[in-house]
Amino acid sequence: MEAGLDWAAVLIAALLYLSALFAIAHWADRREAAGRSVIASPTVFALSLGVYCTTWTFYGSVGRAATLGIGFLPVYLGPTLLMLLAPLLLRKILRIAKAQRITSIADFLASRYGHSPLLGGLVALTATLGVTPYIALQLKAVAVSFDALTGGGLGTSTGPFLDQGFLIAAVMALFAIVFGARQIDAAEHHPGMVAAIALESLVKLVAFLAVGIFVVWGLHGGLDSLFAAASTRPDLARLMGSEAALGDPASGGGPWGAWVATTILSAAAMLCLPRQFQVMVIESTDERHLDRAIWLFPLYLLLINLFVLPVTLSGLLTFGGGKDPDLFMVALPLNGGAGWLAMLAFLGGLSAAAGMIVVETVALSTMLCNDLVMPILLRTRSRALARSADLAPLLLAVRRIAIVTILLFGYGYFRLAGSAYALVSIGLISFAAVAQFAPALIGGLYWRGATRRGAIGGVAAGALVWAYTLLLPSFARSGWLPSSFITEGPWGIAALRPYALFGLEGWDSLAHSLFWTALANIGAYVGLSLFDRQSAAERVQAAAFVDVFHSAPDGAMPTPAAQSDWRSAASVGDLTRVVARFLGPHRAGRAFNGADPDEPAGPERLRLAERLLAGAIGGASARVALASSVSAGAVEAAELLRMLDETNDVIAHSRELERKTAELERATDALRAANLRLTELDRLKDDFLSTVTHELRTPLTSIRALSEILHDDPELDSEQRQEFLAVIIKESERLTRLINQVLDMAKIEAGALDWRIETIDAGQALTEAVAATEALFRERGIALSVDMPERLPPVRGDVDRVIQVAVNLLSNAAKFTPPGGRTRLTARLEDGVLRVAVIDSGPGVPVKDRDLVFDRFRQSGNTLTGKPAGTGLGLAIAKRIVEHLGGRIGVADAPAGPAAESGTGTSFWFTLPLAVSPSGQGAGEPPVVDRKID
Amino acid sequence: MSAPDPTPGHQAGSGRYRDRMIGLFLLAAALFNPPLLGLFGVKGTILGVPALYGWVFGIWVAVIALAAIAGRAR
Repeated sequence: MEAGLDWAAVLIAALLYLSALFAIAHWADRREAAGRSVIASPTVFALSLGVYCTTWTFYGSVGRAATLGIGFLPVYLGPTLLMLLAPLLLRKILRIAKAQRITSIADFLASRYGHSPLLGGLVALTATLGVTPYIALQLKAVAVSFDALTGGGLGTSTGPFLDQGFLIAAVMALFAIVFGARQIDAAEHHPGMVAAIALESLVKLVAFLAVGIFVVWGLHGGLDSLFAAASTRPDLARLMGSEAALGDPASGGGPWGAWVATTILSAAAMLCLPRQFQVMVIESTDERHLDRAIWLFPLYLLLINLFVLPVTLSGLLTFGGGKDPDLFMVALPLNGGAGWLAMLAFLGGLSAAAGMIVVETVALSTMLCNDLVMPILLRTRSRALARSADLAPLLLAVRRIAIVTILLFGYGYFRLAGSAYALVSIGLISFAAVAQFAPALIGGLYWRGATRRGAIGGVAAGALVWAYTLLLPSFARSGWLPSSFITEGPWGIAALRPYALFGLEGWDSLAHSLFWTALANIGAYVGLSLFDRQSAAERVQAAAFVDVFHSAPDGAMPTPAAQSDWRSAASVGDLTRVVARFLGPHRAGRAFNGADPDEPAGPERLRLAERLLAGAIGGASARVALASSVSAGAVEAAELLRMLDETNDVIAHSRELERKTAELERATDALRAANLRLTELDRLKDDFLSTVTHELRTPLTSIRALSEILHDDPELDSEQRQEFLAVIIKESERLTRLINQVLDMAKIEAGALDWRIETIDAGQALTEAVAATEALFRERGIALSVDMPERLPPVRGDVDRVIQVAVNLLSNAAKFTPPGGRTRLTARLEDGVLRVAVIDSGPGVPVKDRDLVFDRFRQSGNTLTGKPAGTGLGLAIAKRIVEHLGGRIGVADAPAGPAAESGTGTSFWFTLPLAVSPSGQGAGEPPVVDRKID
Repeated sequence: MSAPDPTPGHQAGSGRYRDRMIGLFLLAAALFNPPLLGLFGVKGTILGVPALYGWVFGIWVAVIALAAIAGRAR
């Protein structure tokens, strides 16, 4: 057997290490003060979450693995699962905690449920009862590992108050007081503490990995040989299968209970343990740090658990049953002759204990001070408190006393319980205790209707059932209660057996307790909330929590209208006094800088004071303190609180209103735009109708006038008559053309036109168009020339429509070209399309009109004086046809040349796609009948 | 109601990221627990490591890697 190290050397090393932690914490505090924070880093944040791993991980996992195989793992899989939900759950909690200046989980719950001091106190008390024994376990682990390392050199024989447990408790109390309870504002960060925790997390990880590597490769020559050696022993082979962890599948009846229950409880504990809430929520400097912690913290958990089973197997192979498996981490290196490694392992365990103790006591002391002691003091000693000008020393004293008390309590429990079952099993029992906060915590984030009474009922019921099904039986198993309490039930009532409540037998005790506590807790929480009515304060806080992502930033708050109500209430001087009392005159002066002390405080200043106080003494106490602040007689305290609630209510409502208004505005804008568009369309339709009717009336009028003359005056000479009849015929033709075009246009726009798109010979179509218009040009004395190659490549289009377009452009040219002018039709290949142009020597189209000539009823030239020469629809139809055929249409100046001798000249052009595209597609396609436009 | 998320840097793809993480949570919860876990409680080893042990740690590594990738791919 190993000799062990010199106890003095170990003690000095431990003290040196703890001093180093003090130095690190001090350095981090200094850096923070200098504005160069070390904790504002996602990696430090993720490492500080490692405070989850206590000595229960460092030493205890090996012990659990010795009986459960991989059954120790759910404790780490639960938090891994929870971290995956961080984007949903933790981000919201972090945001709320920042907005509300939350100081602890008790404060969080109290604030959510209408600043309820009762709920805050209940949570603080439950957490303290559930977790303080856990601190005792840390002290015990350090003491026992110290003994294992030194071979019991110091032992417990040196008197009850001089053992290692007391020593470590004292050092930790000092650390917690110096770095955890130095400033009043508990909502602010403790950079020194967090930096030390992060370093400790690193040390325990390195220590565990070092021991693991030494054991596997140093003592056994590799993983496979270790497992091979272990598998020859049936008792060890059992640990490598699923039977030890999950129970025997063949036996039936809840074999999975322990595994699943431990996973759920660990996930809940990761969220609800006071120390986890402290490092994860209160100490968080930036919610974006979560993004890295989501994978880095689970990775940390994985690494620190990697060698648990190998170390366990090696310990059992080496020592058999002759040594407590909890101490393998120290005993194995010592036995292997690596004293320094045993020392490192001890320091790793010390880190795990120190981190847990410090953060847990700081978190608990904040809770006890803000949610238990201060509300009581403010209620019972309000007069004495009011006389004191500066309560900051009192607050700090309460917290420090709480720290010392918690540690003394923990130490006492350690001395008292020793190796009793109640201490050994406390890990999961504390998890189950704090898990009672989870329903109210998570429900409060998403369920607006959850009420204060529901939350109090849920936590209380859950805590009572927890005490009955886990805590009391653990006392019984420690021998403090008769064992018949477990086996026969209290007073022999079998239905009340704590491990088989109401006859629910065959369950793992943890799963059994989880089921009953969840039933009582969630049942009371939901049941009471459903049949309860929220007060104004609860409604405000419920909205502030549930809608934290929707509310406006604090600066953009509207001023409540009920300003006049506040005239008679607190003055600025009152508020300054009460804030100074808790936060010191410096802070108060800064907050209400420059305001006249006699001025009425007004709702905004009151809210500011509430926020400041909440950061120091918690939400529930802040309200009581505010109420006590008002100078006697000015206003009743209850009245003041009512006003504060109403202000908050008004603000919450106006935020809601603001949001609704913004939404309404957006909807109105959209409606307005739609309406505008409709009006425009309507106007266009009206324009179209009036233009069409106008265009129809003009020829009709002349037809009618002339036919009336013919009818009334039979004496008209035949030459005159002939002339009139010619005009009538011409106008009728124009009318027919116009109606045809309107119908065409309507068909095109309705998509009802029949298209027959196929491969056509463009040359032929253009020749036909020229033939149809030749007479027109001749009549007006215009020279028409055609300029196109002998053979044009085939194009895709509808022959009739292409002719229609060409005829339209040609007849336009005939109309606008003055007699004696020239018109030229050209067609040629250009950029893979056929480009057809009609170039005339007319007056041209002004540049500003060029976009408009293709609109309906737009005619170039002076429409006021000159009689329109066309219907105004021709070009619009042409444009639609060409675009439907996949081409483009436009107008340009005529190219300089023989065509442009007189006037500036115009070139109307359009393009048609070739039947054979460059890629060879579309050749020889059968005709397509296409009824669709656009 | 769909008021925009005011968090800077979290607007783009935030909802998808969150949904993916919830999906990963459900997957991991199924894989880490019985009955799926029990299926690997077989005799035999993977690379010299007991099958169950290798399975749990393998899944664990995969889940961590997926969480890291999901955060990066946002």
